[in-house]
Amino acid sequence: MNKIILAVSLIFLNVGMLFSQNESNSPYSLFGLGSLYESNYGSIPSLGGSGVALPTKRFINNLNPASLAFIDRNSFLFDLGGKASSTSYKNQDTNEKKDNFYFSHIAFASPITSKSGFSFALKPFTNSTYEITNLEIPIQGTTESYLASIVGTGGLNAFDFSYGYLLSNKVSVGFTGSVFFGSIDEKRTMAIAESITTIQEENNYHGFRPTLGVQFSIDSTLTIGATVKLPTTLGGSQVRSISTINNSGTIVVEDEEDYDVDNFHLPTEIAFGVSKTYKDLNLTLDYERKFWGSTNQSDEFGDFSDQNKFSFGASYMRKGRKISYLDMIQYNAGISYDTGYLVIDDEKVQNAGVHIGLGFPLENFHSFLNVTYSYGQRGKVSETLIKENYHLLSLNLSLEGIWFVKRKYD
Amino acid sequence: MYKAIIISAFVALMASCTSDFNNEKYVVGEDYIENMDGVILVDTLTVEVSTVSLDSLITSSQERILVGNYTDPIFGKLKSESYFELTANNYRLKTSTSDTDYTNFVYDSIAVILRHDNYYYGDTLQNQILSVHRLSEKVLYDDEATSFYNTSTLDYESGSLGTITYKPEPNRKDSIYIPISDAYGQELFQKLKTQEISTKDEFINKFNGLMIKSIGENSSSVIGFSASGSKSSVLRLYYSDNEETNEESLYKDFYISDPARQFNSVSLDRNGTIIQNLQSGSSFQPSGLTGNQSFIQAGSGIVCRLDFPSIKRLYDLSENGTIVDAQLLLRPVKNTNSNVYPLKDSLSVYVADQYNRISNVLYDYNGAQAYALLNQEIDEFHENIGYSISIAGFLNTELTKQSNTRSTLLFSLPSASKSVDRLVIGDQNNSENKIKLKIYYLSY
Repeated sequence: MNKIILAVSLIFLNVGMLFSQNESNSPYSLFGLGSLYESNYGSIPSLGGSGVALPTKRFINNLNPASLAFIDRNSFLFDLGGKASSTSYKNQDTNEKKDNFYFSHIAFASPITSKSGFSFALKPFTNSTYEITNLEIPIQGTTESYLASIVGTGGLNAFDFSYGYLLSNKVSVGFTGSVFFGSIDEKRTMAIAESITTIQEENNYHGFRPTLGVQFSIDSTLTIGATVKLPTTLGGSQVRSISTINNSGTIVVEDEEDYDVDNFHLPTEIAFGVSKTYKDLNLTLDYERKFWGSTNQSDEFGDFSDQNKFSFGASYMRKGRKISYLDMIQYNAGISYDTGYLVIDDEKVQNAGVHIGLGFPLENFHSFLNVTYSYGQRGKVSETLIKENYHLLSLNLSLEGIWFVKRKYD
Repeated sequence: MYKAIIISAFVALMASCTSDFNNEKYVVGEDYIENMDGVILVDTLTVEVSTVSLDSLITSSQERILVGNYTDPIFGKLKSESYFELTANNYRLKTSTSDTDYTNFVYDSIAVILRHDNYYYGDTLQNQILSVHRLSEKVLYDDEATSFYNTSTLDYESGSLGTITYKPEPNRKDSIYIPISDAYGQELFQKLKTQEISTKDEFINKFNGLMIKSIGENSSSVIGFSASGSKSSVLRLYYSDNEETNEESLYKDFYISDPARQFNSVSLDRNGTIIQNLQSGSSFQPSGLTGNQSFIQAGSGIVCRLDFPSIKRLYDLSENGTIVDAQLLLRPVKNTNSNVYPLKDSLSVYVADQYNRISNVLYDYNGAQAYALLNQEIDEFHENIGYSISIAGFLNTELTKQSNTRSTLLFSLPSASKSVDRLVIGDQNNSENKIKLKIYYLSY
């Protein structure tokens, strides 16, 4: 037990370091709260992100809290993930490649009784990392212009607490409470005539969102599941400082003044999933809909509209007698398609990807290192849109431990 | 525990990776950024231009003897006279000799030697006539005062000690030589020879000092002479030692040892000029009354004043805004300057209240005095000639000020206390040489 506490504290110490340097750069992260992260645990990334109907066994299923009801008694699960991406951005004029590395999540799950389990997790929720340098902006009504640079850092994190309970042999229900917190800092620098003005804004957001989930076993090979995330509002406050340096000296226009900022609304989100097993093969299919349209939000770049997401995954693992190490590896593949929620010039920023993954068993064959390679395309080339082609490598370390078991034979 | 190690290694691996940052090529949010903060260029803000005649300008301790007079076609008749106290290093003749040798010394002559310090203004082609006079009072400030001003004068004897008529050639000649009356020279020599004078106080009690004025009707310039240092102008007493087999010529110099006891009295007769009604002190004359132009003259204390009465109207454009830069261009009125009356390369700027009381100079970002600098681009039509300076700091203070009291800017010349340069500035209604103010207002 002491070892576990030591191990967990060591890990959290390390993870703190990750949070502080976590950054993933996307030109789109300039808007709103930044780019939304997708953090999936275990082998879910390689299943195209599908798994609403999967149980929490071997890894924590973050898609449905009801899955926690199935966690093995006497086991605890731990999941840690990171991602590396290489994205090429292409528009009508030019293209550019960018590499990103970021921390995805840290999660812990444990049974409470034979019929219930819980988990908690810490993960980045949104990310704002962008830097635009020396953008020349004309001054209206004149032939003059000025240079603007903008740097954004930060993002929101989510702390999730989930609970799942087995109602009967066939039905389980679950609940997740997500606490959102974090700040997005933006620094804008403007070189106007013979002056340099810096506007520094620190935007703090916080909010809470409940998620409800259910899983239903139709038979031993077929499970269906559903979740609903309730809409919520992230409240914000801002601290702003403005100063100008010019030939007269330094003018402090504002020094850490407090402001309110517009709240950000997260929409109702519903998801349905099916999981079907044929011998050693398991298939998962999910549909998810996020009602962004009803949040009536927009940013300068486009309007928000309802988002549909389809994902399909297949997983193979030999169940019988395992002779070689290859027999112990879990083989996964998936596809995903997502309409996106931003509408720009009547076009949605769509996202489609293919995913393959391997789950390498570690040591006691209950722990896995899940490696997923995804290739995808987001947006398309147009006057205002950028096409992103991305290669994404997801590494999830899913550990299973046994506790509270007294050895039968000493 | 091994798991913790695996995890730690995993975490360390992730932590060691860094992401690319800079969106060098892709600016998806150009419009967005353009709309975040608004930059408005305002070049129509009212600038009220007027002319002020300052009460008085300190002219002592300037280390320049400024003498001359001329009739300026715009400003009127300007005249500068100089007053100073003279002292010597000691009051003995030929310091190496003993007192008994004094009987052998004989008086030769005496003269004022004025050494050029390269300053001049006006037309030096016309002859100047200088006259040297003996002060009939000591060089002392008025009660309460701590300096002499351009308006100060001292009593002097009307009889001239010596005059010179000469053609000023300040760039070609080192000095001019004014013979002084022998009566004055003999008096001074005898008092030294008899040792009636042996200390500075004894000397000053008898010889208060001198004043030099320009008396030529046709004089057309003002000339500067050095009043300090090794090249200082001097009163030189020549005498001889007859004891020697070969008669030896000797001299003794009297010079301005205390710069505070030298000053120039500069006066301007504006009768019949466009600025003849200009009152000195706390009033000001709007440029509209003087042909849409304002006037600056060193020495006489005439300065250009700018008021910005509608600065707060920037808040009509945006309540949340700040002046990030404000570029002011003062343009000399065409044909008011010439080779005879050239432009100086900078203007000094002061912050003053409504009553022309100066509170401080305008500062630059280093905390040093800021100057409006002459744009050196000389173009055919003199369109771009002007003095430019950023007054963003000043205007921002005016903009954000809670009280209704407004400050003004006064423009003068950097060495106003020891020169007589001048210029004419156009106001906003001047047909050819408008004053220009460009305010870059950032609304956030």
